[in-house]
Amino acid sequence: MGTALEIKDLHVEVENNKILKGLSLKIEHGEMAAIMGPNGAGKSTLASVLAGKEGYNVTRGTIEYLGKDLLEMSTEDRASAGVFLAFQYPVEIPGVATSTFVRTALNAQRRNRGEEELDAMEFLKLARQRAKELEMSEDFFQRAVNVGFSGGEKKRAEVFQMSMLSPSLAILDETDSGLDIDALKIVAEGVNKLRDDKLSGIVITHYQRLLDYLQPDTVHILAEGKIIKTGDKSLALKLEEKGYQGITEAN
Amino acid sequence: MKNLQHKYYESYNDNSHLLPGLDISWLKKLREEGIDQFKKDGFPDKSVEEWNNHSYKNLTDNYFKPHSDSKFEINSNLIEKRDSKCSIRVIFFNGKIINIESDSLPEGVEVNSLTYFLKNNSDFLKDKISSPKEYSEERLSNIIDSRPQSIVAVNAAFHQEGAVIHIKKNVKMPGYIELLHIGKYNKNTMQHMRSVVFLEEGSECEVLENIVNDTENDLAFTSNVTDINVSKGASLSFHCFIKGSSNNIHINNIHGEIHKDSQFNSTTIVKALGQVRAENRINLLAENSSTKIDMLLLGSKDALLEGLTKVKHAKNNSTSNQNTRVILNENSKASFQGKIRVNKEADGTLANMSCKSLLLSNKARVNSKPELEILADDVKCSHGVTIGNLSLEQLFYLRSRGIPEKEARKLLVNSFGNIILDDLNINFIGRAKNIMLEYFND
Repeated sequence: MGTALEIKDLHVEVENNKILKGLSLKIEHGEMAAIMGPNGAGKSTLASVLAGKEGYNVTRGTIEYLGKDLLEMSTEDRASAGVFLAFQYPVEIPGVATSTFVRTALNAQRRNRGEEELDAMEFLKLARQRAKELEMSEDFFQRAVNVGFSGGEKKRAEVFQMSMLSPSLAILDETDSGLDIDALKIVAEGVNKLRDDKLSGIVITHYQRLLDYLQPDTVHILAEGKIIKTGDKSLALKLEEKGYQGITEAN
Repeated sequence: MKNLQHKYYESYNDNSHLLPGLDISWLKKLREEGIDQFKKDGFPDKSVEEWNNHSYKNLTDNYFKPHSDSKFEINSNLIEKRDSKCSIRVIFFNGKIINIESDSLPEGVEVNSLTYFLKNNSDFLKDKISSPKEYSEERLSNIIDSRPQSIVAVNAAFHQEGAVIHIKKNVKMPGYIELLHIGKYNKNTMQHMRSVVFLEEGSECEVLENIVNDTENDLAFTSNVTDINVSKGASLSFHCFIKGSSNNIHINNIHGEIHKDSQFNSTTIVKALGQVRAENRINLLAENSSTKIDMLLLGSKDALLEGLTKVKHAKNNSTSNQNTRVILNENSKASFQGKIRVNKEADGTLANMSCKSLLLSNKARVNSKPELEILADDVKCSHGVTIGNLSLEQLFYLRSRGIPEKEARKLLVNSFGNIILDDLNINFIGRAKNIMLEYFND
């Protein structure tokens, strides 16, 4: 299998508040790791730091991704190297059609990797195929990115982008938030279709339900800025039963 | 400034014999009224509200003599191949007509230069070129202030050429008309164009006015004033694309009189390095008239841009929509002044105005001033103004997908401007996008 991502002793501050305090986490190729934890534990901070968002000050620790120092790479280089963050709140971009956005992104990544860019026809063919696999209508290609999308549409559009960009590390930041049960199932099925032994995943969630669909290999509890417990799926079930406090105290 | 006013007055008296149409009494009167008004008012200073956003120092500190023959030749690269949808193109260089290219036009379409009309059909133009004082705004105080119209007065006095478009009753103009103005002026000269667009009842027409200033380092002062009259049931789209050079002062004025059941749409795109002011004064004179006024102001380097719209709703059930976008980089500055005036007799008015500005540098500045003056009771009016930077959230979202920062910024800036471009007729979108592209390269 081999290690895809290794985070060692990560300390992160945001506006001088210490959020992550010595987080360590190792993810193998093809592994789907769930990260659960109470509000304010630092889950979204971890996602943002991995994707390279500005404003997060790493004061200590390392992140190695596919043998490279991730913290040294720009946001866009991380994306080209296969890091994909599915946003908790996908951003609306008026005036930019979804297809233009995805094509610009895909070709920028390909260019960055020294691959040939896709022309308009090749792109459209791929986009149609992917949309079909995810049972999405093609109407949204021409709609402005996330503008006027329902909560479910936004999350599906994230999964569509993920399928177009074929990342090797997908970070799903509370992808289940704001989704009804049907939409959650559709989104989870979409993600499952993309799973293979090359795709590693970090699923950040509060709820067992998403994990029922995604069947993670490992479950990690993040509390007070570090991973306090690691286990398999049964840990998530135990958490559902006992709550965070029960787990923390047992620890 | 008194000295300067006098100098222009002297110049008018010395050179008026060179101006076209002095044998036509109404035009002679118009010119004289213009120079008299200017002699009285001078250029507007900061005490004139409409003119107090920026300094017009270059205009008021220098004397510009009327442009005569240029020492420059036209840069033929600026004349692109005529677009297949363009049925007639009139090309001016430094205010002189140099060519009319045309497909065979249907009967009832007349397009030519102002001097041609003055020579051959001056009666047609009578009453269609208004005196500057007629443009003065109606105020609640009933005080008429002629000072904001100084440039129109200078233009009335000194204009040498222009374009005339006349579409006869029920004629639908195929394709569109392009008026291409290319300028490369001698140092400290001025050039004034006066155009007339007259649509008779039930006619339709689309016009693109393309103003390109190619003057490099020399200071020049230019104005284009266009009198537009859209008769009952007629429809006019009049778009104006202005590219200004670094030392050019250009004042663009559109005065529209829109009659019953008629429509006037206009998109003004300004890409400036120097000083450009675009004014749209539209009077919706009768019932069920409507107008849509869009502007896109693009500034970089030390550009000073101003967009001004005044829409007057005079009678019942008229509609206006104004949408302005301002994008500023480096040291550029801009202002937007938009006014909706709803007269007492204009119940059922629908009027919207929006101006959004995007500042791409710390030094860029913008002033936005929306004004509503509503005297009627039953109206729906809205106005909105925003000023901001590029959204960091949007930028991060794009970058997280692999789009390099520079490209992501460009995409976001483009999308901001696209709100205006997307509403353009497909014939003009390509050209408008090219102006955006050039803006990125400035």
